[in-house]
Amino acid sequence: MKMDRRSFVGLVAIASLTGCSRIATSLNENETVRRLLRAPEGLDLALLGAAQPLAREYTVNDVSGDFRQNGFDPPSSDEYQRWGKNGWRGFTLRVDGMVNRPTSYDMPALRRKFVRRSQITRHDCVEGWSVIGKWNGVLIADLLADCRPKPLAQFVVFHCMDDDGAGNAYYESLNMRQAAHPQALLAYDLNDRPIPVKNGAPLRVKVPTQLGYKSAKYVRRIELVASLGGALGRGGYWEDRDYEWFAGI
Amino acid sequence: MEIRKTRLYRHPLPVRLTHWLSALALGVLAMSGMQIFNAHPALYASDASQFNHPVVKFGAGTNPDGTPVGYVDVGSLRVTTTHVFGYGPDGMGGESPRAFPSWATIPKYQDLADGRRWHILFAWVLVACGAVYSYWAFRLRPSRSDIHELPHTLKSHLIPWKLPRASELNPLQKISYFAIVFIVVPIVVLSGLALSPSVDAWAHWLPQVFGGRQFARIWHFGGMIALIAFFVVHLGMVALTGLVNNVRSMLTGWFVVDQEKTS
Repeated sequence: MKMDRRSFVGLVAIASLTGCSRIATSLNENETVRRLLRAPEGLDLALLGAAQPLAREYTVNDVSGDFRQNGFDPPSSDEYQRWGKNGWRGFTLRVDGMVNRPTSYDMPALRRKFVRRSQITRHDCVEGWSVIGKWNGVLIADLLADCRPKPLAQFVVFHCMDDDGAGNAYYESLNMRQAAHPQALLAYDLNDRPIPVKNGAPLRVKVPTQLGYKSAKYVRRIELVASLGGALGRGGYWEDRDYEWFAGI
Repeated sequence: MEIRKTRLYRHPLPVRLTHWLSALALGVLAMSGMQIFNAHPALYASDASQFNHPVVKFGAGTNPDGTPVGYVDVGSLRVTTTHVFGYGPDGMGGESPRAFPSWATIPKYQDLADGRRWHILFAWVLVACGAVYSYWAFRLRPSRSDIHELPHTLKSHLIPWKLPRASELNPLQKISYFAIVFIVVPIVVLSGLALSPSVDAWAHWLPQVFGGRQFARIWHFGGMIALIAFFVVHLGMVALTGLVNNVRSMLTGWFVVDQEKTS
């Protein structure tokens, strides 16, 4: 069988690429290589997380027509369905852990008690796409101030009501500095209406300086802890699956 | 007139090291970049995604007879690319809807998290190479006479294996290396940084320079294609103008040149 030169070059190219891909894939399983692959995250956090400038804010004209849904299906529990039908009556957000004043808030309390903060920011998904939405909600800093964190609290953990279908609940975490960012929001409105179920009703995090998976949806409980690890894994559902805890890149 | 062969120390060690290391880095960046692209294989010419109006989109579907089909849409043009782009090898022994095939990605199977880890690590490697190489990079700046001689050099490249082995880079080499080092790579690096929400908070202007964050992905992707095109031509020229001498010079630094004997 005769092969022309072009298809020969093509085959050689594919064979070399296959080789490179296979070598990298086997290195990818190696523990030392994995440590190396995780190494830049600390540097990235040190460079980009030290000072925390504000993400760009947009105008109403920039808001995307549809705020794309991603992640898990909305929570399927009867309780969640019932709350949803009753305009979130009966639903409460619990803030506890290393705080001096563990508190539960219902939705009217969150809307009434705290200054309403708004932002029109871009949401960048780790997959690569972006959407722009307007969020109203409570500054996480204001909420925490109300519960008076203990001095040793280092991380704010968001426990969520959605899960991956295999019983693993979604959760996320920020350090105290990230939680104090003036755009770190616990949002209750998207585009001036209560957040739709697909986008995380009734409460979700919005952190516009990091990728979308940090902005946990369906938040039920906020727990302050001194460290991650143990039951909290690497500080998030996706972090436990090797995504970066610092999702600024 | 007699031609004499002379050995010339052409590439100092840091240049050789950064050459091979950045070649490795660019290879890993391209292949892990394709892994990342597979997570959302569409490009938009805007800041936020206009999901109904992608400029480029890789996709999969089925033929009327039920067989799978892979395609690439560029604007309104659809190119069928089954078994390579859109639908192809998944790295698990079969085929599935997948923008870039398993043989072109790191890791070979679908894994956005690890693709990102490889990409970001080797982005740092590339930046480190650039920092070291910057000391030598300015010798690539084309002079006035380089520009003047370009038409002549272009003509002589029509028969690359007859090109003289000169001690200096020829104008075409200088201009193409200069374009890669000072134009294409900076575009790829900056458009990559523009994809980072934290970097964007530092520099609101950065994604805007590229026409928005999603448009920056087009620049990033286009830069990769330019680098691949350069790589193919570069390999071809290395092979055609004296493979052994060229590769040896980038390994040992020593390059054999033809010099007119002056007596």
